[in-house]
Amino acid sequence: MAELTSTLNQLASGLRFTLGIFFLTLLFSIPLGLLVARGRMSKNKIVAGLVRVYISVMRGTPLMLQLLLVYFGPYYIFGVKLADLDVGPFKYRFVATIIGFSLNYAAYFAEIFRGGIQSMPVGQYEAAQILGFSKAQTFFRIILPQVIKRVLPSVTNEVITLVKDTSLAQVLAVTEMFTMAKNLASSQVSVMPFIVAGVFYYVMNGVIEIIMNRAEKSMRYYS
Amino acid sequence: MNVLEMHNIHKSFGSLEVLKGIDLEVKKGEVVAVIGPSGGGKSTLLRCATTLEYIDKGEIKIAGEKLVSTSQSGLTQYTDKKNIQEIRGKFGLVFQNFNLFPHFSVRRNITESLIHVHKKSKEEANAICDALLKKLDMSEKADSYPCNLSGGQQQRVSIARALALNPEILFFDEPTSALDPELTAGVLKVIRELAEEKMTMVIVTHEMAFARDVADKLVFMDGGVIVEQGSDIISNPQHERTKEFLAGYG
Repeated sequence: MAELTSTLNQLASGLRFTLGIFFLTLLFSIPLGLLVARGRMSKNKIVAGLVRVYISVMRGTPLMLQLLLVYFGPYYIFGVKLADLDVGPFKYRFVATIIGFSLNYAAYFAEIFRGGIQSMPVGQYEAAQILGFSKAQTFFRIILPQVIKRVLPSVTNEVITLVKDTSLAQVLAVTEMFTMAKNLASSQVSVMPFIVAGVFYYVMNGVIEIIMNRAEKSMRYYS
Repeated sequence: MNVLEMHNIHKSFGSLEVLKGIDLEVKKGEVVAVIGPSGGGKSTLLRCATTLEYIDKGEIKIAGEKLVSTSQSGLTQYTDKKNIQEIRGKFGLVFQNFNLFPHFSVRRNITESLIHVHKKSKEEANAICDALLKKLDMSEKADSYPCNLSGGQQQRVSIARALALNPEILFFDEPTSALDPELTAGVLKVIRELAEEKMTMVIVTHEMAFARDVADKLVFMDGGVIVEQGSDIISNPQHERTKEFLAGYG
């Protein structure tokens, strides 16, 4: 019993990092994804081409490899000492995790947003133009709200995947929940920590499902 | 005074020339109906007049403001962005498939531009909206969403949305083509009432009887040119092509 309590306590301390990675990644990757989607649809062929390569690389290589590159790249390529790259109280290993996750998820979100934006009927743009809305007004008032409704199910998919992907931060020795569970399992010679960690992930995703379902329902007033 | 002047309008899509030198003038208070077969250039003409398409050559003036002109050397130039934006405030367009904003209530569809483009207060915008909805017999639908309205009601909302900006000229692109005959009647009635109030309008339509009744001037377009125009070309067509087209309508 004491062992279970201690397991829970230690996993909970790892949960801080898991949640940190989760929320910070969403915070950065969603706006970045929107920007990348705009870039991908840019009329400027150079911009569109570069963004296309970016998306292709991000989706075509393992996230784990990308994390390692962000972490070790500054030292091996530029000779910058990692300790110099700590941001405030955050160690660079954590900062690198957030950067790696955000860049990777932005690519996936960008493709989802692009699909949503391009599925909008051209008549919506034309009506907005005739009514005098500026391009920014048209996008934020007319297009984006409708795009959000359209892409929400796909976004939910990504968000749920992200919860589970946070465990990849172990490659940078970030002591998130999965790293904790692995350490505990080997010291206790038991699978119990893995099972508890699995329940944690599952509960988090349960909460996400409920929240996203509510969000979908709240937009069901129009079709 | 002419509210709309279009001279020698040329427009091509790729190698396909859709408008081959159109001249059209619309006086204040005049109702012009544009008829003709599909693919004849009617809708393109309307889209050029409303800045949804840019012309290759020609001159367009709306409410006395020059939108675009072609110089003697053959250079076609539009006025600057700010002016275009200003000119857009002088006309309204009613689409065939309404293009209402589905995530906005009827009220917000009508007031959004008033408030955020034309910088009217919320109270002012609501007052304009209420008056228009009352006039179009839609008052009880102010808080409904487009998806809960019939096609005819949606089209009336989109007319209200266009009228809210107090345009000097209103364009209709086949306003009843997406509606069944029963719903068509309600929309045509609204347009008739606007005609009686001397609203300047250009209407692209396939409703021949309506066009004949409501229009001061009828324009028959085919093959990218105006074949014939006048006040009675439906009852008394001169041109063979017009006769042939009208024969199809019995």
